[in-house]
Amino acid sequence: MFGESVRQLMAINALLALSIYLTLACGQLSLANAAFMGIGAYLGAVLTLNAGWPFWAVIVAAVIVPMLVAVLVGLPSLRLRGVFLAIATLGLGEVLRVVIVNLRATGGAEGISSIPVKTHDWHLALALAVALYLTWRLRGSRMGYAFEAIREDETVARTMGINTTRYKLIAFVLSAALAGLAGVLKAHLFRAITPGDYGFVQAVDILTFAVVGGSASFLGPALGAVLLTALPELLRSNVLRDVVNFEAGWQTLFLNGVILLLVILFLPNGLVSLFTRQWRRPTPLASEPATVEAT
Amino acid sequence: MPDINWSQQLLNGLFAGSAYALFAVGYTLIFGVLDILNLAHQAIYMLGAFCALVLVTGNVAGLGPLPGGMQLPFWLATLLAMLVAGLLGILLDRLAFAPLRKRPDTHFSGMISSIAVALIFEALATWLFLPQRSQFPAGTIRPGAVTLGQGALSYSRVLVIVAALVLVVLLTVLLRFTKLGKAIRAVAENPKAARLLGINVEAIYSFSFFLSSALGGAAGIFYGLAVSRLDPTMGRSVELKGLAVIILGGMGSVPGAVLGGYLLGLTEVLSVALTNTSNYRDAIAFVLLFLILVLRPSGLLGARRVREA
Amino acid sequence: MARHIRWTSLGVLALILTGLMLTACGAASTPTTAPPPAATGAATGAATRAATTAVSGGAATTTAPRATTAAVGSAVAGGPTKDVKVGVVLSLTGDSQIYGSPQRQAVQLAVDEINAAGAIPGIKLVPAFEDDAGTKDRGITAFEKLIKTDNVTAIIGPTLSNTAVAAFPVAQQAGVPSLGVSTTANGIVEIGDYIFRDSLAEAQVIPTTIKTAKEKLGLKKVAIIYGIDNAFTKAGYDVFKKACDDNGIQIASTQTYTATDTDYSAQLTAIKGTNPDAIIVSALAEGANIAKQARELGIDAKVTIIGGNGLNSPAYIRNSGPAGEGTIVGAAWNSTNDNAANQKFIAAYKAKYNADPDQFAAQAYTGVYILAEAMKNAGPNVDRKTLRDALAGIKGLATPLGTFSFQADRNADHPPVVQVVKGGKFEVLK
Repeated sequence: MFGESVRQLMAINALLALSIYLTLACGQLSLANAAFMGIGAYLGAVLTLNAGWPFWAVIVAAVIVPMLVAVLVGLPSLRLRGVFLAIATLGLGEVLRVVIVNLRATGGAEGISSIPVKTHDWHLALALAVALYLTWRLRGSRMGYAFEAIREDETVARTMGINTTRYKLIAFVLSAALAGLAGVLKAHLFRAITPGDYGFVQAVDILTFAVVGGSASFLGPALGAVLLTALPELLRSNVLRDVVNFEAGWQTLFLNGVILLLVILFLPNGLVSLFTRQWRRPTPLASEPATVEAT
Repeated sequence: MPDINWSQQLLNGLFAGSAYALFAVGYTLIFGVLDILNLAHQAIYMLGAFCALVLVTGNVAGLGPLPGGMQLPFWLATLLAMLVAGLLGILLDRLAFAPLRKRPDTHFSGMISSIAVALIFEALATWLFLPQRSQFPAGTIRPGAVTLGQGALSYSRVLVIVAALVLVVLLTVLLRFTKLGKAIRAVAENPKAARLLGINVEAIYSFSFFLSSALGGAAGIFYGLAVSRLDPTMGRSVELKGLAVIILGGMGSVPGAVLGGYLLGLTEVLSVALTNTSNYRDAIAFVLLFLILVLRPSGLLGARRVREA
Repeated sequence: MARHIRWTSLGVLALILTGLMLTACGAASTPTTAPPPAATGAATGAATRAATTAVSGGAATTTAPRATTAAVGSAVAGGPTKDVKVGVVLSLTGDSQIYGSPQRQAVQLAVDEINAAGAIPGIKLVPAFEDDAGTKDRGITAFEKLIKTDNVTAIIGPTLSNTAVAAFPVAQQAGVPSLGVSTTANGIVEIGDYIFRDSLAEAQVIPTTIKTAKEKLGLKKVAIIYGIDNAFTKAGYDVFKKACDDNGIQIASTQTYTATDTDYSAQLTAIKGTNPDAIIVSALAEGANIAKQARELGIDAKVTIIGGNGLNSPAYIRNSGPAGEGTIVGAAWNSTNDNAANQKFIAAYKAKYNADPDQFAAQAYTGVYILAEAMKNAGPNVDRKTLRDALAGIKGLATPLGTFSFQADRNADHPPVVQVVKGGKFEVLK
């Protein structure tokens, strides 16, 4: 029912949602995914256009460089908790945006356009399959248990002998890798990138995918990404237009907000709880000590 | 090397800082009391400004004149608009935050639900006030400027500085010396204990939202008047800088938000004055923010675990 | 427990439906969509009928369900007419809605006029509006939906160049002629032979502006302020800078701002310190605020403000007030041009929307007339291919922008104008 590019967007957004799931699974509210996506996209575009690298090498570079940046940024910032980490990582994204706007190599405000289309559907399918497999295998693995312990209570996890810094960094770096991958694939699919694509709005969108989908299991974020990508397209539907004289514009924005609000209010475990019979107690995404006393 | 007009640039910085502070005090108040980030604060800021505009001009752009063609003087419109913004704040709390209060992930889901409400508010504002730039009519406030040394500041800008001072002092007095203020601080410290002491915690939450949003609305009105620019997305432009300000000052700290506001305003202005370029001005806020978070996570005035008013 | 979930989802559904009903009511009272008073009765009837019989999707030949078009369509006299759908992708929400909104009104106006006059023999235009929210993603998906689901013959828009560079390739690949009406950046028509634009690029407007301004004012030294993170204002800056260099004008200070800025006083104070003869403002709607704040800082009225297409709007004059007096604006559309098409456009726009049109509206309105002319030339069996060829052949068409032709590279060709704000009105700078 959806066009080709809607399905491709769904896949890319699912990758991004899985990217933020990795840090959420470890109890870290990082909003750096949009920035890492931007690094992957810009690096990829420059390597393809200016250096003429083959696509596979471009992808490898666009995955590895965000990982390196993640190590550099993660070491000082990952000791921040909850909302503070979120804001620090948002800040990172803004600094990156200002730098991209000012650099000559990145084309300034006009960005880079006419990037050759090199991403095919099988790239997306493969990337998504690998990401889903890895996040699925995470549960029940040694690392998965460590992540879960840190998410439940970092202090306790540390006293249990878990190297929390190491695992948090691993989650952050893996998350950066997925975001970089999504960035480079998208740049070589939709041909054009501009600095504004990787800012605050995109960062919050990615978090919304995860929260709306339900971040207790890896399926939730992916599902959230798919459905939230579909939502504005469904609101374009000619049925709505014809039957209720529904216009493109503020009415769609309004309905988008209403639906988002209702899902948050009535589905505490996210959309995924509509599809799974499991009805677990909502799991805290990150344990912030500041909130322990709040009932 | 051109001459730097120091007095003018300091006045510019004072103005920008006051505007940031005015926006951030309400923002940080909610964080202090409820430990949540209210991402709809910017939408209330916008609606407050439009509400005052409607009362001053007696006209809703998308619908037509108010019944009776009522037009109010600016000061009365401001008070009423602050009241409306405050009530919208209570509505926001009931709609987006109260239902999630018992949930363990209330911080995250609260952020998203407040974004949803912000979208709804923005959509309604686009319908009511049209997708266009509006401004307060000429003569809303006396034209002219105050001169200080080599610098000049229009009365509308002076109003922002004065309003920031007055409102912040009033808020501080309220929080420190009134019974209500003490109740707010008690709830901020420990809602359970406050409830045991017989404080109606939910009522305090509502009142905090009222206060925060009335202040946010006032910020929108005064700033919108000073820079002559109102539109349905005007709040988005202060949202991120506002976050930087409350982090700089220490989240939840009202004096911290004021200090953070002035610090950011002055730094940004001085960066332009000293380097004679503005290309990296926007990065300053966030580099500062990152450094503060890494070096002193509690912010300038935020004590580690104490959320003081 | 699963039962519990069902009930919750039912509740969600019910609330969504309530929301739908509410917004539907809101739609009926939106002034921009209200049919002209005389046709209200017929339109309401038509809308009700359309609502009960409407089918979704549909190829180019379904009946138009929209109230306005249905009402006007029934007024067309005699002869079987074929509906031809035209997609219109604009920024109707988000930060750019202030530009997309007048475009939408202008397109609707032009379509209504063309259909009412039966200007294209055998064809009735049916616009399909889509919102791209100023983003690439939504722009791409909007193009795709219009091309595949609505089966449109042509597309007008999108509003932003940044969206266009991502969305136009979709149209090019599908072979759907697309007409940008506000895209001024580089690399637009280069996307392919189905991509046209009726908006003059900054490079076609600004050199004349600077040259004229230099002659009139004897410019020696200027300062520039521009939006660094917006493709339109940044491209404008590049052209302004080159024009100054070419004319031997010294640039004493270059300042930037970002799209989220609202206070420009630090930059303007720095500019004031360099005592320029003029301030070049490469800006969009915020240009009015920049002008106003410059005067508030005591920058003398003798220091002329010079701008490009972005300042060519009645909103600039309204919002800058006395501060904007004397501003020199080089632009694609001359609002005072007394050619018949322009006067008719301004009067009709004002009558319908009770507001003065800006350049965004003028170019969007012209875009529809260009498409209509091409359809007329292509004949009643017009399809995407023949429409493209007919568009490429547009020459010497009288439009509100002046006598309009497409160049061989599908860029617009019509005379630009240098205007000056005098007594709260744009005048041609003579």
